[in-house]
Amino acid sequence: MKRLLPALSMLVLAVAGPLLAPLPLDQPVTIPYGPAGTDGALLGGDQLGRDVLSRLLYGGRDLVIASLVVASLVTMIAAVLGVAGALHPAFGRFVERVADVFMLLPAVLGILLITQSWPHGGQLALVVAAVALGMPYAVRFMTAAAAPVVATGYVEAAVAGGERTWHLIVREVLPNLRSTVLALFGLRFVAAVYVVSTAAFLQVGPQPPAADWALMIRENSAGIVLNPWAVLAPGIAIGLLAMSVNLAAGALTPKVRNT
Amino acid sequence: MAGALTALRLGGLLARRIALLAALLALVFAVVEALPGDAADATADRGESAADVARRRVLLGLDQPVAVRFLRWMAGLPTGDLGVSARGERVWSLLAGPLPNTLLLGGLALAITVAVSLTLGSWAALRPGSVTDRVISASATAVLALPEFVIAVALVLVFALWAGLLPAATLAGPDGTPSSWTMLVLPVLALAIPQIGWNARIVRGALADEARAPHVRAAVLDGLRPSRVLTHHLLPGALPAIVTGAATSTGMLLGGAVAVETIFSYPGVGALLAGAVADRDTPVIAGVVALTGLVITCVLLVADLIRSWAAGGRP
Repeated sequence: MKRLLPALSMLVLAVAGPLLAPLPLDQPVTIPYGPAGTDGALLGGDQLGRDVLSRLLYGGRDLVIASLVVASLVTMIAAVLGVAGALHPAFGRFVERVADVFMLLPAVLGILLITQSWPHGGQLALVVAAVALGMPYAVRFMTAAAAPVVATGYVEAAVAGGERTWHLIVREVLPNLRSTVLALFGLRFVAAVYVVSTAAFLQVGPQPPAADWALMIRENSAGIVLNPWAVLAPGIAIGLLAMSVNLAAGALTPKVRNT
Repeated sequence: MAGALTALRLGGLLARRIALLAALLALVFAVVEALPGDAADATADRGESAADVARRRVLLGLDQPVAVRFLRWMAGLPTGDLGVSARGERVWSLLAGPLPNTLLLGGLALAITVAVSLTLGSWAALRPGSVTDRVISASATAVLALPEFVIAVALVLVFALWAGLLPAATLAGPDGTPSSWTMLVLPVLALAIPQIGWNARIVRGALADEARAPHVRAAVLDGLRPSRVLTHHLLPGALPAIVTGAATSTGMLLGGAVAVETIFSYPGVGALLAGAVADRDTPVIAGVVALTGLVITCVLLVADLIRSWAAGGRP
């Protein structure tokens, strides 16, 4: 539980941040790249002189929400498909092959390919791409975890009793895999934060003048000498989010022998 | 007889990798095809008339039936023909210059990843539970989830702007390659650091698993030096897991290179791709994905061979 706290506080801070912003988000309050402390801007100004602190407090919300949506969708769909793969070995082998193919496609390139081929997809295209790219590994993970459960007597009895696949998955197998599903969610959330923030840095996702941590790093890099905080602060924010979420995912993953 | 069997097994590995690559290429084509919008109207936002767009659609061959275009794309790939970009340039000639630079960056990052993660992972595994082990494992966990562009920005601030030791941007020489090796240091580090974290954990875990094997315990009880136990008894058994980890990192390195090259204005595929994103130049992105898939296929094939050799070398 102790290892979940940093992640939970980062999530709350990112989502509630806009309420704390001291200055307007989209109005210049100081000179471009104004140093920290000028004109009441605690962390200085960005490339248009907008308040870095206020934009920092706004800039994590969409990243966190998009990552949560991606991780939840991947986990839910993969939980069902993964158990189906364990129940029907032919489907399980198909998923194995798909995962082998996806291994050749780096997630960042896959996201670029999908979002660029779907010009008016916007945030939906990004979410669909991230879900599709994360799916094969997640299904494989669930299939491996579900295999021992499927082999137990009571599932065999249910199969022999003629229960439908859907009933088998949702009622018989998944309730025994709660901790696996939770662990998968943690891992997919880590991956989603990486992929969504990298995509935003590559200008896929939030567009200017939106306040977004990754986009702030991109936009303010040119003025890094004048006001390092405009780049450093969102960089630290993404770093803390990624590390705390990874720590939480580690805590959720069932402990294997360590030495 | 044994030679023929080995050849058969190697042929099987090769055929499997080629089939998977072909499946990826078909998938790439299907994605570009199934989603709305094509390369011709991608650049139409800049106030071109419908007739201009239609003319370019004919030029790019987009008026042909899907099956014809698929066969044409797939048939062109083995000869290096990746099609035409939205601006009408050959995709291959666009990629020919930047691709070696990106492979240099990714290759160096992979080499450093393997060397450093082997060292750190072995160091930690030989002293389980010690302070060294805990420091290495904790730092590995801390860095492995960090996006490369965040690490890159931190490195630029510390080493280029504050310490003034290394250049923050890459200047290309007359031949299009980086003009000094110092310009490679920060991009390579930014790419390698998360992968080092990831692989050090794999090495540490694989060695710890192997340490429980009876033959390793016997070697330790025989009083062999720890370094000899590591190189002769632990590493051979842990090799397949370590090689798989490093091969998986190749994809992460090549994906991360897109963002890192943008930060350092490195003259590689990433910078080209960032431009293609602004132009919504799908053929260029599809070409990069195809070539990246080919490179990863080659690395995975090497990993297959090492695993096959490691399995064959032992009863």
